[in-house]
Amino acid sequence: MDQTRNQPSAGKFLSWFIPVGRQVGGWAFALNRLTAIGLTVYLFLHLFILGKLAQGPGAYDQFLELTENPLIKLGEWAVVVAVLLHGLNGIRIVLTSFGVGVTRQRQLFFGFMIVALLLILMFTVRMY
Amino acid sequence: MSQSTSSSYISAPRPGETSWLWLIKIVTGPLLILVFILHLTVNHYIGSLPSGLMTYADVVHYYQNPIIPAIEILFLITVVTHSLIGLRGIILDMNPSRPVLRAINWFFSLLGVFSVIYGIWLVLAIASKGGK
Repeated sequence: MDQTRNQPSAGKFLSWFIPVGRQVGGWAFALNRLTAIGLTVYLFLHLFILGKLAQGPGAYDQFLELTENPLIKLGEWAVVVAVLLHGLNGIRIVLTSFGVGVTRQRQLFFGFMIVALLLILMFTVRMY
Repeated sequence: MSQSTSSSYISAPRPGETSWLWLIKIVTGPLLILVFILHLTVNHYIGSLPSGLMTYADVVHYYQNPIIPAIEILFLITVVTHSLIGLRGIILDMNPSRPVLRAINWFFSLLGVFSVIYGIWLVLAIASKGGK
């Protein structure tokens, strides 16, 4: 096993948040992981909150009133943004995992991110 | 995976990640995108609230079509599996010790099984409300 890889380091995790000196591949790497962590937290929160459905219409519809809160709407927007960035970046990873576009990863990344930005813009306009 | 990813880097199982886990993560990704689009569209755009969200009555009505609980359960299993294998992969990037990794394996396995059982119970509970 290559001993230089995957050495334990908290600094390695913190470096995801530091944009200085990062190559495009590093941005794609950080974007994939940060959105993954955010979406995983959201997933379990979402599952927990959907439990209100089992409590009947009163509990659920009362919860729905909260969705008009600007902070909750911002959170919902952030989830969709994270899904688009993670999903489209993920398609690039899947393609290259099966040998498609391996030498064109930079172009694939920028292409998918442009699509993501367009979809984010569309969703933002629709939402607000 | 190095953070200074070169342009020729391709995703592959990490040390500590079996090929099967890696393959499941890679295959569930595109599947999730398809099911997520359906889930988002239905739950956020065609409900009777002005915002497009579904009320309780909308959700119960929607779940009376038997294909819907099936799709939601498929979505649940796929998303829980993908997220927990992915999160484990992120932790592997930090090269945890063997005991820590064993604890993480147990914790994620239990969390995954519990989440899927809870989610299936919730889906079936909602679907059963329609007959009342």
